[in-house]
Amino acid sequence: MKDSELGRAFSDGDVIFREGEKGEMMYVIQSGKVKITKDTKSGEVTLATLTCGDIFGEMSLFDRMPRSATAVASGNATILSIDKKKLFTTISRDPTMVFKVLETMSRRIRLLDEELSRLKKTKEHLLRSCCDVEETCKMILQEARNTISAENGSVMFREDDNTLSIKAAYGSKSTQLMRLKVGEGIAGDVLSTGRSEMLNNVSTDGRYKKGSTKIISMLCAPLKCDNTVFGVINMSNTSERLFVLEDLRMLNSLAVYASIAIKNALNYAQLRVAADDVLKQAILVT
Amino acid sequence: MSMAFSVQRTHIPGECSQIAVIGGGPTGSFFSLFALRMAKMIGREISITIFDPKDFSKDGPGGCNRCGGIISELLVQTLAVEGINLPNSVVRKGINSYTLHTDYGSVFISTPSLERTIATVYRGGGPRGIIGHEKESFDNYLLSLAIEEGAVHQPMRIDSIERKHGKPVLFSKNGHIMEADLAVGAFGVNSTAGKMFASLGFGYSEPPTVNAAIAELHMPEEVIVERFGNSIHLFLLPDRGIKFAAMIPKGSYVTLCILGRKVDAHTVQNFLNKPVVRAVLPEALGYSVACSCLPKMNIGAPKKPFTDRIVMGGDAGSTRLFKDGLGAAYIMGKSIAKTVIFEGTSREDFQKGYYPVYRGIMHDNLFGRILYTVIDQYRSFKILTRAMLKTVEIEQKRDSDDRILSTILWDMFTGNERYRNVFMKSIRPKMHIDMWEGVFRSIGRR
Repeated sequence: MKDSELGRAFSDGDVIFREGEKGEMMYVIQSGKVKITKDTKSGEVTLATLTCGDIFGEMSLFDRMPRSATAVASGNATILSIDKKKLFTTISRDPTMVFKVLETMSRRIRLLDEELSRLKKTKEHLLRSCCDVEETCKMILQEARNTISAENGSVMFREDDNTLSIKAAYGSKSTQLMRLKVGEGIAGDVLSTGRSEMLNNVSTDGRYKKGSTKIISMLCAPLKCDNTVFGVINMSNTSERLFVLEDLRMLNSLAVYASIAIKNALNYAQLRVAADDVLKQAILVT
Repeated sequence: MSMAFSVQRTHIPGECSQIAVIGGGPTGSFFSLFALRMAKMIGREISITIFDPKDFSKDGPGGCNRCGGIISELLVQTLAVEGINLPNSVVRKGINSYTLHTDYGSVFISTPSLERTIATVYRGGGPRGIIGHEKESFDNYLLSLAIEEGAVHQPMRIDSIERKHGKPVLFSKNGHIMEADLAVGAFGVNSTAGKMFASLGFGYSEPPTVNAAIAELHMPEEVIVERFGNSIHLFLLPDRGIKFAAMIPKGSYVTLCILGRKVDAHTVQNFLNKPVVRAVLPEALGYSVACSCLPKMNIGAPKKPFTDRIVMGGDAGSTRLFKDGLGAAYIMGKSIAKTVIFEGTSREDFQKGYYPVYRGIMHDNLFGRILYTVIDQYRSFKILTRAMLKTVEIEQKRDSDDRILSTILWDMFTGNERYRNVFMKSIRPKMHIDMWEGVFRSIGRR
């Protein structure tokens, strides 16, 4: 922590507060980044990545409810904390002080509204066509393409032999031909860690496995159900077009619904096989 | 029908309202910044021109605003909530503790979890020839925020002001500058602008002042890191003329600030020669006094700080006694902005909107005077000084919620709390039980 920095230093992965805790403070980021995450049935979802000057943790102070999400330092960060009692005393003397907080909250509600309407559409599509696994994967990719601008994309599943197989893809052919093992390459690593990643300089990443097409930037999010990662969704660019944090956030949100839809499709397929077997045996008996 | 209760909302700035701010220090910048923000919020157009000949980015006396340069915990946090995050380029050191020195020992008072919640800054570019010019002046930073919001800075001195048809008209020595719908006096007590406003005859008079002694001590940065860490060193000594002194670390300099009623050209050297000071800063460290001055400090408040279309804020009006002048500049600058945008610019509007805040600071200083008188007793009588040290020492081992005297001292010297609230804490029975325990323990130790 630099001598001229204010607040408290947090290292990468340090938890600032946890979901469900009582909120006594709000926070202002002085430097670095903070990830706001939430535990869901299909694993941890990153709701937002906040940067210098952003405030967080204010909701619990105003609605007196437990923390709605967990705040974790992403890299080294310095955070200034603001005590609830002191904040409300100051607000009672000067109510205009909350103008900026209201502005921030309004901006967040606006973003959530936009995201919600996009996700509602995606969810409806996904839940409607969950009978065929490959069709579902294709549709997930189409939805991802509609939301995030990327030249290539693929949905990969973990096979029994611990390799990744492509279930649906678009864009460059060479990116579709590569076969990776679990833990190998960026997608293989995301499959084993269960953490989504955004890379805007892929070639410098030690995990990157070169194909015939050079990938410049890449997004990769895990597909998981009940904390078991069963696949990944990739988006990549071969041109100089870079991804932004908003793209990663969208892909993460999409991956949650995509995981449910794929699991439903897989369950449906298994159920159909089982039903066919029962039918076959019934015919043999008769 | 009596007219006594009718409120005349005259002079409300409408489109193209011209506001002149005399003084580009924190009060002038805070006023401009918030007035422009609030005006935008309600869709009103105003034009603000800030007149100040000083270049705050300059090092040495040319850019200096003669101040200790401490931004209190409360102000740092309030500004952060307002969206004003003090950048690293402005903050010279983040402070997480105070070390209190007396003739009979020292104690360390810190923030919970040693969070750095206080900022030390230079109001100007820093001492002459300061090393590390990548740093920015606090006043310059605030002024640039006001300019970003839409204010115009005119680097010129206003030499006289007249009232024509009820409106303030500003002149420089070269002639007419502008006719304003409102003039905001936001200068310090070391400026000559006070006489200009006093001559307008609406009852304003310059506030009473005392002298402070400020010196910049230069030494290698690693010495400051080792000796001071992230702590402000405060001295409460049984010296009649000095209320208290503070050493404020800032990079490769330490600002020495001595406040009292008998401060003169010899004060700094006499202070540096005191044994307790030499224990903190031995001459062998090889420090040098880079510069020193005896600025005036506001210790009172004019009774009439406004009239129709004219209002005075910051040090030109009232400020917090001995502490947190920057916090007072924020409170008053913003209060004037709220009044001007949401009420109006008549005397009645200022009476209704601004005066309660102004009077609040005046009244709060009465509690401050009582508290400083009590502290005078504590530093003058050996037994009380020892009891205070013992009590704080015991408290520092307790939970942070159970440290009454430490909190009182912290709030007093950091300007973190109103004097009234500090006073209310000081009359709690628990505090007196702790103090008596401290008295007996210190007697026992002797």
